[in-house]
Amino acid sequence: MSDFLQSYGFLIVTLIQAGLLGLSLYFPLMAGQLSLASPGFYALGGYVAAIMLTNPAFAGLRDTLGNGIFPLTWLAAGLLCALAGVIVGVPALRLRGIYLALATIAFVEILRVVSLNLAITGGAIGIFGIPQAFGFQDRWQYLLIFGPLLALVLAFTYMLQKSRVGRAFRAIREDELAADAMGVPPTQYKVLAFVIGAVIAGIVGSMSAPFLNTWNAKQGTFDASIAILAFVLIGGSRSMWGPVVGGALLTAVPELLRFLQDWRLVINGLVLVIASLYLPQGIVGALGKFRKSPPPARPPVAPAPDAKGGTV
Amino acid sequence: MELSSFVQNLMNGLAIGSVYAIFALGYTLVFSILGIINFAHGAVFTLGAYFTYTLVVGQFENNGLLKGINLFPDGSPFSGSAVMFGLATILGACAAGAIAVLIERLAFRPMRSRGADPLLALVSSLGVALVIVNLIQLLVGAEIYNFPSDAYGEVRPALSFQIGDKVVIIRTVQLIIFAVSLVMLAVLGYVIGRTKVGKALRAVAESPSTASLLGISVDRFILITFFLSGFLGGLAGTLVGTAFGVAGPYFGVVYGLKGLAVIVLGGLGSIPGAVAGGLVIGLAEAFVPAEYSAYKDAVAFALLFVILLVRPQGLLGRNLIQKV
Repeated sequence: MSDFLQSYGFLIVTLIQAGLLGLSLYFPLMAGQLSLASPGFYALGGYVAAIMLTNPAFAGLRDTLGNGIFPLTWLAAGLLCALAGVIVGVPALRLRGIYLALATIAFVEILRVVSLNLAITGGAIGIFGIPQAFGFQDRWQYLLIFGPLLALVLAFTYMLQKSRVGRAFRAIREDELAADAMGVPPTQYKVLAFVIGAVIAGIVGSMSAPFLNTWNAKQGTFDASIAILAFVLIGGSRSMWGPVVGGALLTAVPELLRFLQDWRLVINGLVLVIASLYLPQGIVGALGKFRKSPPPARPPVAPAPDAKGGTV
Repeated sequence: MELSSFVQNLMNGLAIGSVYAIFALGYTLVFSILGIINFAHGAVFTLGAYFTYTLVVGQFENNGLLKGINLFPDGSPFSGSAVMFGLATILGACAAGAIAVLIERLAFRPMRSRGADPLLALVSSLGVALVIVNLIQLLVGAEIYNFPSDAYGEVRPALSFQIGDKVVIIRTVQLIIFAVSLVMLAVLGYVIGRTKVGKALRAVAESPSTASLLGISVDRFILITFFLSGFLGGLAGTLVGTAFGVAGPYFGVVYGLKGLAVIVLGGLGSIPGAVAGGLVIGLAEAFVPAEYSAYKDAVAFALLFVILLVRPQGLLGRNLIQKV
């Protein structure tokens, strides 16, 4: 068992991390909002932890708290990301569809350029030598914090979906105007969904900074936005298991393809193309079809150009 | 600001802005027809630069799979004169256009025929971009290639004139970029505004189903759109490549993102908007003071964010129709 963890522990933690980031994007999507901001909040959370764990300004706090500093970094990252989520979310959520996606890409890029140039984030080099959480000796031990976080987020998601708030999210997703007319205030719920996603991404970042030992501007890039979006869409955007399955799978694919060496990223791209062409409901959606009657088709966001029927 | 540095910044901004404009036109053409953003456009931009480079130099020296292959053992016929270099540029852009057509056939059409969620087209085009970028890296290596300095023969090095006691220098390549972009814009404006093909394209953009009822082959015009889009993207790639040195595999990534800022700024799907957006962002970047130059890459995105909040339909875009 410990041999297994030694060899695959790092990979398993990475799979869980990907699933969590997928879930962070799933929340806004639950309320019908395509946000690509997750890597921005992930990077922000990571910087919070990295600064609190290495910056001389926090030396006194670290000495007083000992290992208690780690939960504190999670809390700080979560709070700061919630705040940032409100600041970005309130204006940005006036936008819909592709416009919101582009605004969140802009947020991620601005954050990246700023963190490349600030002294406190270590500039282009970033922050390194981040101490291991709770003095962990092996990377697989991060399962002890990432595992419970995943379980917690999944439980939270499950309960949320059953709750009044979850039903409100779904109502907005299906038809915002109708939801509004029924007394569901769309803006508040959209911001709430956005902020929940931001907090999750931020906490994942704050756990990942010690895990990776180093943190720099490369952590939150456009590429990451896309990777996370792909987790959700390939896994399935209609079920909370979709982002987890998609995140784990798409993180595992390049590893499993390692024997292909230089070709693996090419194959990875092909996997994305083929999966989006042939699994429009995502993997979880496709599996669901075997169990029950096909899920109701979701009307496309914009009317798809259609030579046969038309969308008049 | 002194007049001389104002003129200098203006010239730099117009040159880079006009490249942004023709690059972004490729995005916006596809968006106006299909309502999707083709994220592989940045990769097509990179490909354009590499295709032209292949014609001009004929071989790759670094460690990719194509190492050692020499297309022109007696020296490239496309090198050494401005006319032949121009021809190579056009051929390179055509090849990029052909790739864009291939992308449409393989990654978009199967999805279109099933009326899938446009979000999936986004992921699919990103997959294509990943494939292209990594194939380039495999074939010719990750190193940066530069066009040889004598690629277009004897050209006057630069235009310089004096304002006050400062000298303003305009590089020849900047003038070429600006001129080529203007010509491209004029040609495109003519094709779309005045010709039958353009009329049909506009009809398809307005309503594919109505256009098809009127006897327009929608699929064919979508292919034409993708060819034009790839041609413009590839041309921009070569122009930027000559101006700033080509081209690593990731050459197009930044342009791909800035192109998004350009088309949103101008108004998604608007052709004059893409031109205006390109020039605005090019000029805004050129006028960033030297002490803040590290933040230059954020300018486009800051503008994008602001315009989305203030005027989501963009500078020249039509009002967004709220679909009920």
